[in-house]
Amino acid sequence: MIAARRIKPLDVLSVAWIVLLLLFAVVPMLWMLSTSLKGQFAALQQPPEWIPSHPTLQSYITLLSPTGEIGPVFLRYFLNSVIVSTATTALGVLIAVPAAYAFSRFQFPGRDILFFAVLVRNMFPVVVFLIPLFILMRTLHLVNTHASLILTYMTFGLPLSIWLLKGFYDNIPEELERAARIDGASRFKAFWLIIMPLSSPGIIATAIYAFIGAWNEYVYALTFLNSESLLTLPVGLQHFFTEFATNWPGLMAAAFIMSVPVVVMFMLLQRHFVRALTEGAIKA
Amino acid sequence: MAIDSTAPLATPAPVVAPPTKRHGAAKRGLLAEINRHRTDYLWVAPALLVMLLVIGYPFAYTIDLSFYETPPSSANWYFNGVGNYGQILSDRGFWAITLNTFYWAVGSTVLAFVIGFGAALVVQREFFGRGLLRGLLLIPYVISYVAAAYVWRWLYHSDYGLISGVLYEFYIIDQNINFLDSTSLVMPSLIIANVWKEFPFAMIMLLAGLQTVPQQLLNAARVDGANAWYRFWHVTVPYLRSVILITTILLFVGNLNSFVLVWIMTGGGPANASQIWITQVYTLAFQSLQYGRASAYSVILFIVMLAFGYFYVRALTRRREAR
Repeated sequence: MIAARRIKPLDVLSVAWIVLLLLFAVVPMLWMLSTSLKGQFAALQQPPEWIPSHPTLQSYITLLSPTGEIGPVFLRYFLNSVIVSTATTALGVLIAVPAAYAFSRFQFPGRDILFFAVLVRNMFPVVVFLIPLFILMRTLHLVNTHASLILTYMTFGLPLSIWLLKGFYDNIPEELERAARIDGASRFKAFWLIIMPLSSPGIIATAIYAFIGAWNEYVYALTFLNSESLLTLPVGLQHFFTEFATNWPGLMAAAFIMSVPVVVMFMLLQRHFVRALTEGAIKA
Repeated sequence: MAIDSTAPLATPAPVVAPPTKRHGAAKRGLLAEINRHRTDYLWVAPALLVMLLVIGYPFAYTIDLSFYETPPSSANWYFNGVGNYGQILSDRGFWAITLNTFYWAVGSTVLAFVIGFGAALVVQREFFGRGLLRGLLLIPYVISYVAAAYVWRWLYHSDYGLISGVLYEFYIIDQNINFLDSTSLVMPSLIIANVWKEFPFAMIMLLAGLQTVPQQLLNAARVDGANAWYRFWHVTVPYLRSVILITTILLFVGNLNSFVLVWIMTGGGPANASQIWITQVYTLAFQSLQYGRASAYSVILFIVMLAFGYFYVRALTRRREAR
């Protein structure tokens, strides 16, 4: 028993507030899950049933079975999302790591201006880029390819990635590399052998952030893709909606399946994620 | 070769290179300095190149395009000066949409901030299950806007929605409410869905801020007889000033930019009652195919955003100086 830490019991008001907050945050998610476990008619029942009296996995089976009409399409969307998000994350980290390291350690002319330019991107409305990027992708013959999305997501993710990673590098004492340099290591070697292993928590956090961003993105996927077989999940859901306008359990099951990877990833690495998000604002 | 790396901006670095060498470098001028650091640029080159292609070029192109008339039916685009801007600003619809946009952005920001702050204040305290509570409260922030939009559309459904159903059950209403098809209810309904999605962001930002408030400061105030309310307003809030500022600006700019929730839940309807800048730009560009007009619209948006961006950067740099 740990008796050293005394925990004051919460007063009634705080408990009431916590309950309210929890209800607000969790009920929509639970309702998503509950609906997805109902049959199509049970979902339309009034008054609504909180817990399905005849729960069924039918919607999930339909969506995930590789045979049938809907299953293969949905699995295709899922695979497309995995491909795009993974490629975005890998490329993004590969490009962001050296840039963040340089911004943290080197003193080249123009460093501050460039870093500032990188940061200001966050203020640009996404639509400012939508039209010209669409035209650019058309010129490059990249419209309706995954490459257009990967390139866009990766680049839009870079400012945040660089900022987060720079925060991590700033926290790693320089003496460590200096010692390696004195022992004759090149700058790259010192970076690779000393800094890379130390900064893995930062890289993981940045990677999660990039992955979740790509996984959830909607606007560019909506604009750049038009082949059914290339769509990612967020845009794909729309198709389910219009085709099966009344199939709420199906749609909720699809939304649930789409949410599972990011929520699980986030739960496993919550600490990194929260730290990454707040690092800049608190320590800026 | 000298070790020319230095510590980050925030903490003054010990000068690594011998002073004489530094002095010499300054004399040789900028070009020589750039030349000396030429390998440094290789580290940032890939990032800068893709950003130039995917961000820099499109940005310049938008500004250029905003001065052109681009008839959707022909490839014959011609220069039109500030014609697009004039048309937008003199259109009464634009001002109605602007009003909607600020209703949406201010409403969402204020509510998300207040609820997020309230959440941060309880989650900060130690009690059994705190970690779990924090995790659960963060879920809305992590899931996609698309999933959120469909869930809320379903919750608000006029015939089978949970919200109408529950209100009916408790005799609060005697007829189902048409949340998203009513011109007066659509905005508040959208704002609530949006607040659900983004209050956790405010919560974590402020939570991280709260953890930096020195306990001695609060204890000192307590010893001086300040009650909890007074300590909150006169110790905690002033201490968190810049975190509060940054959080609010990020929320606000995010809301000005937010597209998915409105687009999927209402598409700007009914009768433009929930049309905001972003959805209007999208409609102009990809449904009416008026690229020029939509670009001018984007530029106007950008200028507004830039004004807020200025405050954001100032808030960030002021903190840096304060340290």
